[in-house]
Amino acid sequence: MKSSPLFFLALFASLAFSLTALVLATNAQYGSLAPYADVTVGAAFPQAPLGLAARGQMVYQDLGCAACHTQQVRRADFGHDKERGWGDRQSVARDYVHEDRVLLGELRIGPDLANFGARAAAQGLDAAHLLAFLHNGQGAMPAYPFLFAKRLVTGQRSPEAFAIAGSPDYELVPTPRAEALVAYLLSLSADHEYPETKQPAPEKGTK
Amino acid sequence: MTTVSTNVALPEASDIDPSARCPLLILIGAAIGWLVVGGVLALIASIQLHTPGFLACCPFMTYGRMQAAQETAFLYGWAINAGLAVSLWLLARLGGSPLRAAGLASVGAIFWNLALALGVAGILAGDLTGFAFFQLPAYVQPIMFVAYAAVAVPGVLAWTGRRNAFTFATQWYAVAPLFVFPWVFSVAQVTLLFAPVHGTIQAVVAAWFGQNLGALVLAPFALAAVYYLLPKISGRPIRYYDYAAHGFWALLVIGGWAGGRQLIGGPVPVWVATTGIIASMLLLFHYMVVGVNLVGALCPRGSTVLRFAAIGLKAYVLGGVLNAVTSIRAVAKFSQFTFFSVAQTQLLLDGAFTFMIFGALYFLVPRLAGKPWPSAALIRVHFAAVLSGLVLKVGGLFVAGWIQGGDLNHVAVSFPAMAGHLQPWLLAATAGQALMLLGSLALALNFARLLVVCFKQPARELLCGSAAAEVPAS
Repeated sequence: MKSSPLFFLALFASLAFSLTALVLATNAQYGSLAPYADVTVGAAFPQAPLGLAARGQMVYQDLGCAACHTQQVRRADFGHDKERGWGDRQSVARDYVHEDRVLLGELRIGPDLANFGARAAAQGLDAAHLLAFLHNGQGAMPAYPFLFAKRLVTGQRSPEAFAIAGSPDYELVPTPRAEALVAYLLSLSADHEYPETKQPAPEKGTK
Repeated sequence: MTTVSTNVALPEASDIDPSARCPLLILIGAAIGWLVVGGVLALIASIQLHTPGFLACCPFMTYGRMQAAQETAFLYGWAINAGLAVSLWLLARLGGSPLRAAGLASVGAIFWNLALALGVAGILAGDLTGFAFFQLPAYVQPIMFVAYAAVAVPGVLAWTGRRNAFTFATQWYAVAPLFVFPWVFSVAQVTLLFAPVHGTIQAVVAAWFGQNLGALVLAPFALAAVYYLLPKISGRPIRYYDYAAHGFWALLVIGGWAGGRQLIGGPVPVWVATTGIIASMLLLFHYMVVGVNLVGALCPRGSTVLRFAAIGLKAYVLGGVLNAVTSIRAVAKFSQFTFFSVAQTQLLLDGAFTFMIFGALYFLVPRLAGKPWPSAALIRVHFAAVLSGLVLKVGGLFVAGWIQGGDLNHVAVSFPAMAGHLQPWLLAATAGQALMLLGSLALALNFARLLVVCFKQPARELLCGSAAAEVPAS
């Protein structure tokens, strides 16, 4: 390799090769993917998160929740995501079209959360359960005490506040960040069927 | 043991090395500083994995932020600073001329590290981007792009202004990251932060960036050093050198594609994962060439430099093979989303890259400073601590990943139960991280003592260059 221009041209070409495919071609392929308008229901899916839940995604991002939780359900024959109850179908690209920052996650120290809201609703978990869980922690998940403020009870207790054992004059009130995070977690659902998620009818001799 | 080469004041040492002294000592000093800072952050994060309540009282100490901060301090603080220093030094040496525009590199290095410090503080304050290997807040990234370019300019000038038209493998590997990093960094900044692409294309771009940073920026820095040091120290030519160019271009052309293997089974087009798998397999050719070329480093014969390089090289080839094996879908089904992939990454970062660069630093710092390393004992401590730390940390993570892969695919095992199964192995990883931190402190202390000795000398003596000795390796 004697010629500098040729060397740098070759470097440029080799990088352009993977850039063209992975950045430009993927963008051309599904950069304009839109929500699916389901005429049977008269609504488009996935639905955009409401204000509080959208703020909650920022809390999820800034606390680094994605370091331990994924948000991608794998297909039924690839791992045991379905058996764990994380979702009946595989996550698809359309599930993420409303997200400003897509945090798929790379490590499962905790469960997958792609479909957490739908799961919580089915199990009867509400915001109060989740707030208690955030405050106490469990297993590998630490407690997040800083998402709550200790407050002197004056007059009536706040409806969302927790009592503190041993100090009846005080209560624990979830901060707006905690409420946003919980609203976000409860909004997570990826269970609507799109054309690309519908399983073709099994044919003879195939899986 | 014997001293390998006690008097290697090479003819060019007196006029080339001093030209690079200021920027390179800034880069190396900052690199070692970040290695220690990153080690402390990594230790806290590692403890939090088996003791979740550790320092969990305040938002800036949560595991998510700690992990992002330690990864950033390691990659952008230790790895890039040290890699740039090694690259500039090699390019100046092999170019045969004093480093031109060295002042620009010094300014760039200072800005790089100031911006990085701001960035790491920003991550702890909650401004992390959430993308692995790309956690730096948007507000420091453009400055870092410019600063990196400023440091890279003298390297490119040393390449274009070289005395020999012919170039060596060392030079290709040393110059490539100077060009690759600004490109992939700027593409990632635009497509992920300033004009973000939609939906899961972000995940594809982030995987592409991370792959390029590891395989086309950090790995070439380290390989450049070993391609130079092995023949220099052992006195023997590189085996099958004719194949080195094939190995280099295989890495450059295929390397960027392999990021897709992280997205197997994910909500992205299937071809992204498939090309990632194929690329990981094809890259085995690169690892084979590197292994065959540099196999001589595996018998270090008492050289400290080669002892570090030999471990780095083994980790590099093993890491490459593991990347290929775990990219097979049937294996990925179990290894994906577990500590197994964390261990693979750490094998390449803490093992391959770091050990090869340690070797290079032990060779070049005495030549830059014009003084031998002050303490051979600290070097022995460093070697023993980082090697045992690496084995414990990566070994612990591999076993933890293995158990976790089994548990995740066993529906009856709950997450708290899984945490219990992983705990002893994560404790081993923490012990390993603590040992590695101890090793980094030994290196930092030795380097600080060298600087003290160096700056006590009259400038004239420094510039003339006394006999720089390679460290006794006993």
